[in-house]
Amino acid sequence: MTAADTARERLKGAMVRLAAGDRAALEEVYRATSVKLFGICYRILGDRKEAEDALQDVYVNLWRRADRFDPERASPISWLAVFARNRAIDRLRSGRVQREAAPLEAAAEVADAAPLAEAMLIDAERTARVHHCLGQLEGYQRDNIRAAFFDGRTYAELAEAGGVPLGTMKSWIRRGMQRLKTCLEGAE
Amino acid sequence: MTERDQLAAEYALGLLEGEDLLAGRGLMAAEPEFAAMVAFWEGRLAPLLDEIGGAVPDEALWARIVAEIEAVPGGEVVSLKARVRFWQRAAAGAAMAAVGSVALLVLQPASTPAPTALPGPLVASIPIGDTPLRLGVTYLPDRKEMLVSASGLTADGVHDHELWLVPPEGELRSLGVVVPGREASMALDSETAALIRDGAQMVLTREPIGGKPDGQAAGPVVAEGAFATI
Repeated sequence: MTAADTARERLKGAMVRLAAGDRAALEEVYRATSVKLFGICYRILGDRKEAEDALQDVYVNLWRRADRFDPERASPISWLAVFARNRAIDRLRSGRVQREAAPLEAAAEVADAAPLAEAMLIDAERTARVHHCLGQLEGYQRDNIRAAFFDGRTYAELAEAGGVPLGTMKSWIRRGMQRLKTCLEGAE
Repeated sequence: MTERDQLAAEYALGLLEGEDLLAGRGLMAAEPEFAAMVAFWEGRLAPLLDEIGGAVPDEALWARIVAEIEAVPGGEVVSLKARVRFWQRAAAGAAMAAVGSVALLVLQPASTPAPTALPGPLVASIPIGDTPLRLGVTYLPDRKEMLVSASGLTADGVHDHELWLVPPEGELRSLGVVVPGREASMALDSETAALIRDGAQMVLTREPIGGKPDGQAAGPVVAEGAFATI
């Protein structure tokens, strides 16, 4: 068993104990994952204070509803990363956040990343697959899909940024997602 | 992709806003197939999140999280219910069966009702005066979150409209000022959330900009409606 495997199993164990109401397990999960999840919230929200509020929301919700994690089906860090991204995007859409896009500043501050979480993240095959499949798209499809995914942009924002009509942006992305799906399902 | 598949992809990517987002949230709660399609996208795109570097949050954040968990009245009940659900599911797996039954025994004396399914969303469609416009309200009990869609409304620059919950007894509870032309999502405190059920009444009042001023009576009721399950 590699160090990454051990770390993954430890985190999985903490998630299972968390679901059973073990408060110490929540702290263990927080210590192991908060740097990674804060990076995600910060990237999407572009504001430190908002990102901290989002992160607080993530762990409070995790505590209240830890039963949503199914250890049989998902890698814990990948599940948590998706959970954090979704909460951050919900916050963005709630209209409470006046975002000044600052993803670059965020990225510069934290370039050291989180090697532990990184090493634990998901299986190599899936990682390679999604990169391969994105690589099959046209540049304008890929760039806009990435901007939606990493910066939480809406169709309207992407259309404005790209200087194209909303309908054009929608059809670009929809065709891109269609192609991505076919590829991810392994038919390409 | 079918239109439904497309919406799932857009929902997972986070592209939606307004009514489309509301529709997506409704489907997430109501249709397992839709939720599974969203989960497909989330799972497949998740490796990309590894590209985002980490960042260290404020040291005081952990204390804030603990404080919030401990402060919420009824929080224990919520987590107990969640725990019961978890163990019910876990108990289906052989590895968990033994632990699961122990946990259920421990939880039983607390007389926590064991919910069999997540409560579905409640919705209200409130007609505005004699106009064709409607205010759409969706409440997600699961997340104690309310979505108010006022996309057809425009601001007159002089008034705001405030939405109120009419509890069976006691005073009206403000659900916030409606933002014309927008879809707003808000988290409800547990006490207010507990009052929202099938048939719960709401009224919309006309107020000065910013909502009802403290210490003054609410303005005239301009519309009303009630929550219903879907």
